[in-house]
Amino acid sequence: MKHKFNFTPGWWGVLPSLTLLAIFVLYPLLQVLQISSLKWDGVVAGEGIGFGNYLRLFGDADLGRSLITTLTLAAFVLPIFVTLAATIAIELEGTRFERVIKAILFLPGLWTIGASAIGWYTLYAPDYGIIATITNGAVALPWGDQGWAALTLVGAFTIWQNIGYAVLVVSAGLKGIPQETLEAARVDGANENQVRWKIVIPLLRPSLTFLAVIGGLYALQSYTAVYLLTRGGPFGSTRVLGYFLYETAFEKFEFGYGAALSMCALLLAFTFAALQARALRGSEQ
Amino acid sequence: MKTARLSGTWLGKIVVGVVLVFILLPIIWLAYSAFLPPDAIFKTSGVPTGFTLENFAKLPFDTLIRPLILSLVVSSLVVVLQLTVSLPAAYAIRSGAKLLPLYLLLLSIPAELMLIPLYGLLKDLGLLNNPLALVFPFIANPFIVFLLYSGLAKLPWTFIEAARLDGANNIQILLKIVAPLLRPEMTAAAVLGFAAHWNLVLYPKVVLDNPQWWTVQVALTEMLRKDPNAWGKLGAAAMVTSLPILILYIIFESRVTKTLEGGLK
Repeated sequence: MKHKFNFTPGWWGVLPSLTLLAIFVLYPLLQVLQISSLKWDGVVAGEGIGFGNYLRLFGDADLGRSLITTLTLAAFVLPIFVTLAATIAIELEGTRFERVIKAILFLPGLWTIGASAIGWYTLYAPDYGIIATITNGAVALPWGDQGWAALTLVGAFTIWQNIGYAVLVVSAGLKGIPQETLEAARVDGANENQVRWKIVIPLLRPSLTFLAVIGGLYALQSYTAVYLLTRGGPFGSTRVLGYFLYETAFEKFEFGYGAALSMCALLLAFTFAALQARALRGSEQ
Repeated sequence: MKTARLSGTWLGKIVVGVVLVFILLPIIWLAYSAFLPPDAIFKTSGVPTGFTLENFAKLPFDTLIRPLILSLVVSSLVVVLQLTVSLPAAYAIRSGAKLLPLYLLLLSIPAELMLIPLYGLLKDLGLLNNPLALVFPFIANPFIVFLLYSGLAKLPWTFIEAARLDGANNIQILLKIVAPLLRPEMTAAAVLGFAAHWNLVLYPKVVLDNPQWWTVQVALTEMLRKDPNAWGKLGAAAMVTSLPILILYIIFESRVTKTLEGGLK
């Protein structure tokens, strides 16, 4: 067997991809390590301050708050996301409308995101929104001044964008369960509720674990939704980690600090990914 | 017709119904508001009504149509380059190059973490405020390599071995055997790659702040920020800029969802 990289047929095919990744991912990540030791505004040459930026991370109350906001968002989005996806996928499985409904649910994930933001804004805004206007302000999510409402909005938008993919994940898991397993349970006298809770849900565990993982990532990456809808406000209540990073570098122009923050977040992301890979492998057994 | 393997419940049906409304509401509202006359906002209660095409006629060229064209061109170009670079890479990995873990690792880097590192690199290369900044960093995409690799992993590889024994070289195999067999995955990868690039918001805003190089998302964001209560104008802009995605999706929907679902099994 040819296992040595050099002898793999067509091995050179991977070179363009690897070269580009080295230039546009690996090199910038190494460079950011160097930037993280600078006090730099992104324009004039920076001044070396060693580990100053990293030390600052530990005393930054805003960063702490941003971490809590991110975790809160994940904690409230995840259970809803997973439950909805499982309920919908089980309900649709094998029905006449399965394909068309799944197609509709997947649409928001691709829809021009700036247009989605416009739709959401003009629909739900507490002042100019159509719902608030029709109901004379009786039905309105006060995300202009209430932190919880703004966070709810960002969470709802994140679910809106990603629920279609989540349903596909559970559906794929469902289709992997052999019909015989369900029949056998029924023959043994299990009712539909028991089939659902005692057979189907436990067998879906790998899919649901996978969903929890990507759902967590979506919550962490909701910074685009934050930028489009709330800009971190009101009073910083929706400043998730990704948005905090953006603000630090591109609105406050603290590139060195932003770089140090990126490095720590990257380490966290890798640790997170490794743990999840392990959890996934565990759940497949 | 296939029958349901699991019986539905009333609660489940209600959940599906509510979620469908929740999903479709913003889209239907956009389509409706695009035809509302500008004075609709001043109606103090009840559902605003009226019909006009004026909103579409008045869409600004420099701050909307031009960015729309730029985005269409650049995102299409990126997708073509992505497939050109990713297919040989996926083929090499499927043939035995042990690089899959590296690609999976790169896949786990959250996009926002690349904002500052890329900004530094583009600054050094003199590519800030240059539309090439929208192209180069996106050509090598670990997700697309992974998607194509999953497709290749399902092909019977004896095919390829046989072609090799018959004296076909790798380029012939790639073009004449692999690419045709992999069409569903390549289509799905193209649609998803296009949408991902098309929907970038913060990156183009940061690396291209000259209005000359606004992308469609930057243009929409600016419009919403300036005129948050111009329902008709915003709706028309949103519908026009969503049309390319809608058309792509209507044509290729089943390939996208099937490939994703198949890849998840």
